[in-house]
Amino acid sequence: MDFVPHDDKTITEMLKVIGVNKIEDLFIDIPKDLFINGLNLPEGLSEPDVLKKLKELGKKNTIYTNSFLGAGCYFHYIPSLVDFVISRSEFYTSYTPYQAEASQGYLQAIYEYQSVISRLTQMDVANASMYDGSTALAEAAIMASIITRKNQVIIIEGVHPEYIDVVKTYCWGQDIALKIVSVDKLEDKLSEEIAAVLFQSPNFFGDIEDVSALAKTIKIQAPNCLIIQSMTDPTCLGILKPPGETDVDIFVAEGQSFGINPSFGGPGLGIFAVKDKFLRKIPGRLVGKTKEINGEREGFLLTLQAREQHIRREKASSNICTNQALCSLSALIYIVSLGRTGLREIATQNFQKAQYVKNKLREIPGYEILNTKPTYNEFIVKCPDIDSLIQECKSLDLLPPLPLSKYYSDMRDIALVCVTESNSRDSIEKFIKASELASNKQKEGRA
Amino acid sequence: MDAKDTLIFEKGNKNAQTNFIPKLDIDCEKLEDFIPKNLIRDEIRIPDIPEVEIVRHYVKLSKINYGVDSGLYPLGSCTMKYNPKINEFIARLAEFSQIHPLQEENEGALQLIHNISDMLGEITGMDGFTLQPAAGAHGELVGLLIMKKYFETKGVIKTKILVPDSAHGTNPASAKMAGFSIIELQSNKSGEVPLDHLEFAMKQGDVAGIMLTNPNTLGVFDRQIKEITKIVHKYGGLCYYDGANLNPMLGTCRPKDMGFDIVHLNLHKTFSTPHGGGGPGSGPVGVINELIQFLPIPCISSTDKGVICNYDNIQSIGRIKAFWGNFGVILRAYIYILSIGAEGLRRVGQIAVLNANYLRTKLQKKYNLPYNRICQHEFVLSDKDMPNEINTEDIAKRILDYGYYAPTIYFPLIVNGALMIEPTETESKNSLDNFIEIMDKIYYEALNKPEKLKKAPLNTPIGRLDAVNAARNPILHD
Amino acid sequence: MEYEFPEELKYLQTHEWIRIEDNIATVGITDYAQHQLGDIVYVELPEIGTTLKKGVNVAEIESVKAAGELMMPLSGKIIEVNTGIVDNPESVNSSPYGTGWMVKIEINNNSEIDELLSLEAYKEIVEAEKK
Repeated sequence: MDFVPHDDKTITEMLKVIGVNKIEDLFIDIPKDLFINGLNLPEGLSEPDVLKKLKELGKKNTIYTNSFLGAGCYFHYIPSLVDFVISRSEFYTSYTPYQAEASQGYLQAIYEYQSVISRLTQMDVANASMYDGSTALAEAAIMASIITRKNQVIIIEGVHPEYIDVVKTYCWGQDIALKIVSVDKLEDKLSEEIAAVLFQSPNFFGDIEDVSALAKTIKIQAPNCLIIQSMTDPTCLGILKPPGETDVDIFVAEGQSFGINPSFGGPGLGIFAVKDKFLRKIPGRLVGKTKEINGEREGFLLTLQAREQHIRREKASSNICTNQALCSLSALIYIVSLGRTGLREIATQNFQKAQYVKNKLREIPGYEILNTKPTYNEFIVKCPDIDSLIQECKSLDLLPPLPLSKYYSDMRDIALVCVTESNSRDSIEKFIKASELASNKQKEGRA
Repeated sequence: MDAKDTLIFEKGNKNAQTNFIPKLDIDCEKLEDFIPKNLIRDEIRIPDIPEVEIVRHYVKLSKINYGVDSGLYPLGSCTMKYNPKINEFIARLAEFSQIHPLQEENEGALQLIHNISDMLGEITGMDGFTLQPAAGAHGELVGLLIMKKYFETKGVIKTKILVPDSAHGTNPASAKMAGFSIIELQSNKSGEVPLDHLEFAMKQGDVAGIMLTNPNTLGVFDRQIKEITKIVHKYGGLCYYDGANLNPMLGTCRPKDMGFDIVHLNLHKTFSTPHGGGGPGSGPVGVINELIQFLPIPCISSTDKGVICNYDNIQSIGRIKAFWGNFGVILRAYIYILSIGAEGLRRVGQIAVLNANYLRTKLQKKYNLPYNRICQHEFVLSDKDMPNEINTEDIAKRILDYGYYAPTIYFPLIVNGALMIEPTETESKNSLDNFIEIMDKIYYEALNKPEKLKKAPLNTPIGRLDAVNAARNPILHD
Repeated sequence: MEYEFPEELKYLQTHEWIRIEDNIATVGITDYAQHQLGDIVYVELPEIGTTLKKGVNVAEIESVKAAGELMMPLSGKIIEVNTGIVDNPESVNSSPYGTGWMVKIEINNNSEIDELLSLEAYKEIVEAEKK
């Protein structure tokens, strides 16, 4: 099935109009020795056969009933409205809205997305999206380097380890030196030569930082360096102080929590928002509102395109073209479906449920909550026997928390636990049971 | 319709209920006992909106938007082909949509990524693939970083990349992000790369390689492609293939055979995944054997024990995105390749070229065709010699009045007033004939009623917008 | 299309004009350049006090469809910038040699003045580009 709607008669007719005898004549410019004799791939499959094959493949992925795993990708309930809107083919089969007059629907939706992100983060300007949180952070670092004309960047420990790796790669591409420091050593490392300080809050280990205080400290020591905050689950903005109310200059986040399925980690959504003074340097697409040239009606269009690659070419600060438009539409629908009441309620539940699990774990011998700062929906806990915990979780159909040894080999027996509003009381009780069983096993092991 | 009255924020209601939150069924703590007051926010400036209002609002917006499902979308270089619905259905199944990237039981997903890597290898001739890049431009950056690493490991410094003047803007922008600067090669009268200029540039010694798309953005196949890649290799450079224009080549010829060392593909163009209004896309990168060691981590390979991932490859350029790539998009492309099969892929390429040449033959009777030769999947017209000073923008806006989306305008830069048309293989002859009829009507209007074009569009929800004011006084949110 | 090129000014082949009074050079873009760029929407001017060499990029000029750079015609220190064009970028189009001026430089290498183009030489460059 190739979705080609011509029959042989039509093809013959068209060839005649063009003035050639056969289709092969249209490939006359290709050197003869470049022609291949077909592809070594199987024949095409019908819909039912393709479905069968994919279902067989899908069986090799486990669908858990409940999850205690976060670490940059989160299970939240997605309102039915999200899929309803993004399934409308006028949206999802459309291209980038360069012809504004025929794309007012999508342009307005992107404008509304920019608006909700601005309102939620209280930052002045949000762009139409970057690929994901990790690349958004990397591009923020590059943007800071260009603005300050400095090529040193500091990352504070606690940024998602995969994000740190991505920033490293991008910085290497631009000869930007990257230093990873702990928050208590930060002041020593700050200087006039630093383009930006990157940090995550709530951080990878769950800690909520006092962003205002941190930003103030940085501004005193290095007034010209840019402060960049990253976030992996922005549902926390339902209760936490938004970055726009602090000295944060650039805010980036992974927007997957806003109505996008986990889908094995992609596509995600790179949220990117800045303070006004950086408007002209922001990468990515921007939708603006304006009037008709010969009329009074207001409409929307892509604007400030002179920043972008199709105009600046090798002078562009970012090469981004295709971004994550449909994902930003998902986020918009998610946010407006919940509204202020829902956003606050969801965030509160995330906090409450995680707190509840923390409290219960404290009652089980061998478990020690390691966070000293307040947390949102993730926290780290020292376990008596992490391998048993993982086993017990799986046997109860729970996706286990992340063993930190995956990223930090010296952090054995520490789990990063995530609890969201989607974890029912029943699943939480099961998790506590699994934790108890793991604790007993360890005791038995010792005996 | 005035924008201000109809933003979603105007539809809020103090009594609106939200229906999407489970009941809280555990003992609660006081928030302020755990999180200091100065870290808690005051208000959220997002209204509560009744569900019916949300639905009506976005249904209304969808009706003033145009997608491939609405009609022909002749955007050159974008390959707006039909997006199969079975892809959408499968992508939503829980066994793919509800899988966490860090869960251990992921063999189906990794197997899928590995399978499509093999298929793309067969299609392009390349030896190894990464499915990590999230878009074509992202793939370009990866490819260029691989070039950078390649030369670094050889202890050689190369600072320049060659691009033709017909190149897409992402090419030079990506080169810059990888730390290179550009030398632009002027295309010759046939729209191809002149070999003598190429050799001269390579002789300077500082060139890491060349970025090309073939067929190029004029829609023509560069007949000397093998000589081009030979020259670049002779001087120790690498050849990068921008796969945006791969559609016509499917099943007929392969970038590896043309001499390319690195290739990126656009799954959202050639492989039918939806454009989504500007993403998400996916830009896998394929390389020759010698460059596999530089691919971004994690690298997925198949053994008899199953699929394994390598994070420790020290020669890798590093990680370029969190997790595994745009899996939801990769999945759709995989389903498409399975559905189409070997013979189908070849037919896709052939019919894409047939449809483009059919349109070209008919349209060049009235419109100027700067490169008058057989095209591949797309061709470029210009507004040269249009009557009554009608320009490309006028033509494009009038096309909107007839209910079609306009072709790509003012690109490539080497054609003044360019109008780049790519119908793709999924358009019927009927659809093409309708478009030709519209273009003929528009030409007639240009001759006899030019004011209709100058004032166009007249039939769309909004007329031409003041882009100058929008850029001088940006209003980017409500 | 007739462009305006004042006789008393000097020019660069990258379409800057230069007015020299004692050791101060006032710089802007020519009528041809503003026409090529189209309606100017934004100009990013350098910081006062910056010292730059001839040939480097000193300001960024954006229109709706293009982006250009103002090149330093002579080495020196930026002593004044025209903040008026930040609020009214349209003056670069309407008065490129008057209210649309961009920067004033305190020249530190007089020998470079000889390398600037005369009106006739610049006109030839514009003619060649138009073809």
